[in-house]
Amino acid sequence: MRKSRGWLSQASFYLVATLVILPFVMPLVWMVASSLRTPGLPPPRGIDWIPQPLAWGNYPAIFTMIPMARYILNSLLVSGMAVFLTLLVASWAGFGMAQLSRRSWRRLLALSVGLLMVPVTTLWLTRFLLFNALGWIDTYLALLAPALMGSSPFFVLLFYWAFRRLQAECFEAARLEGASPLDIWWQIGLPQVRPTIAAVGSLTFILYWNDFINPLIYLKSQSLYTLAVGLQQFQQLDRTNWPLLLAAALVMTLPVVALFFLTQRYYLQDYP
Amino acid sequence: MGSRWDYQRKSALLLLPYLIGAFFLVGLPLILSLAVSFFTYDGLSAPTWVGLANFREIAFDPLFRVALVNSLTFIYLAVPLRLLAALGLALLLSRPRPGTGLYRALVFLPTVVPEIAYALLWLWILNPLYGPLNQILRLLGLAAPAWLVNPETALPALVMMSLFTIGEGFVILLAALKSIPTEVYDAAWVDGSGRWQAFTHITLPLLKPWLVLLIFRDVIFTFQTTFTPAYIMTGGGPYFATLFLPMLVFEEAFDRLRFGVGSVMMLCMILFTLGLLVLLFAIFQEWGYEEV
Repeated sequence: MRKSRGWLSQASFYLVATLVILPFVMPLVWMVASSLRTPGLPPPRGIDWIPQPLAWGNYPAIFTMIPMARYILNSLLVSGMAVFLTLLVASWAGFGMAQLSRRSWRRLLALSVGLLMVPVTTLWLTRFLLFNALGWIDTYLALLAPALMGSSPFFVLLFYWAFRRLQAECFEAARLEGASPLDIWWQIGLPQVRPTIAAVGSLTFILYWNDFINPLIYLKSQSLYTLAVGLQQFQQLDRTNWPLLLAAALVMTLPVVALFFLTQRYYLQDYP
Repeated sequence: MGSRWDYQRKSALLLLPYLIGAFFLVGLPLILSLAVSFFTYDGLSAPTWVGLANFREIAFDPLFRVALVNSLTFIYLAVPLRLLAALGLALLLSRPRPGTGLYRALVFLPTVVPEIAYALLWLWILNPLYGPLNQILRLLGLAAPAWLVNPETALPALVMMSLFTIGEGFVILLAALKSIPTEVYDAAWVDGSGRWQAFTHITLPLLKPWLVLLIFRDVIFTFQTTFTPAYIMTGGGPYFATLFLPMLVFEEAFDRLRFGVGSVMMLCMILFTLGLLVLLFAIFQEWGYEEV
């Protein structure tokens, strides 16, 4: 077993890691820098790391050029409702799976892994026809529909693993006292899987906030637009106004990045 | 007091919304796509039965062939590189040291950036004249390609930008590496095997099921991940160089309202996906990984 590693190997680790990480971070740095250039100036020669002057006015400007505030509210509404529905359906399903016999859950597991492998784009056309027949086009029902199946089988599996890790005895005791599965889910199960709730909740929020394909297909009226389609429309209006386009893109990106940094320890770090 | 059987049955009820939702959102559209493929339908007037006409049309459609080749080329270029990048980074950052937490978060960061914002950002980065990438290349005295404007470099450019949204694979491999007990490696050190041997004899075999799962998922999900960049950044061009299957289906269905023809194209993606799924399950059965 190699125990003590010299400072040289430590330093080389940090050097390599920093170099490798650069292309992951650089684009976002450029996004911030380019969003602060004064619109209408001739394009930069070389990379404009810190634009002179810093055009903070770009940010208020996008709110007057397009109904940005409206889009943000719409996105918040859709994502918020999706988080609530997803947590409900996914935690129910995960809890149900954890109570089943081994044979049944193996089948469900196979089904869930299979469902996990089906991209939206392989179904969107007929899903559109289905929603059209139901009169869901141009309503948020079409955007929220995936939450009816817990948004992603992955979330169901996350809840399943979390409930499975809990002591079976406390469920068993409550069952013998005559508690229903719903009671046990709410009173004993959920309070013990808070990290999973946080992880699934934030991932769901990011999923719906970022979703571009569904609103593009299902939303027709501008008053219903979420940020993603609003941004695309902005791009079509003003294709070369990079400072403002990137400022709007950054406004859309910041909330999910903040949420990601707040919750990443639940799925990225070593402590549970 | 409810019996155990009674309790299990009631618990199964909690699974109903998920199962019904899955049938409604995946099962039903799947069945519908089989049906719609045999009709001409524009979403307004009644569908008319045309038998195999849509299939015949696709078979001789040069654009369909271009989109198919482009989609396969993208898979061939992007999937191995994305997997290698995710594996390399997971290996590099698996051992906890001061600061690895931040490095891991930064690797994942581009993955949470909204697709549309990411596409706009890279449209700017790849701008042949003013984009930061070419500014750097010129600074280094290297050739500055025209990227999305040139049919030869457009698809590789989209592959390149896909190499930084590998958060999913990275997290999964990180978790898989963590689940390997350190004692296994200790035994290997005692045996005197080197790092490379430990990697090829211990790490890789233990990661194999995860790597296979990731490859399959990545291959299938190129049907989804190629849509937004192509739609926003190139519109399928130049000269159809980045026309991928989902883009073509989108145009057939939602621009030209030819749902029948679009449905046949979609059916091709579905069959490809199902074929890979069957293969995946067969492989896992073979290895004895019925339980996860």
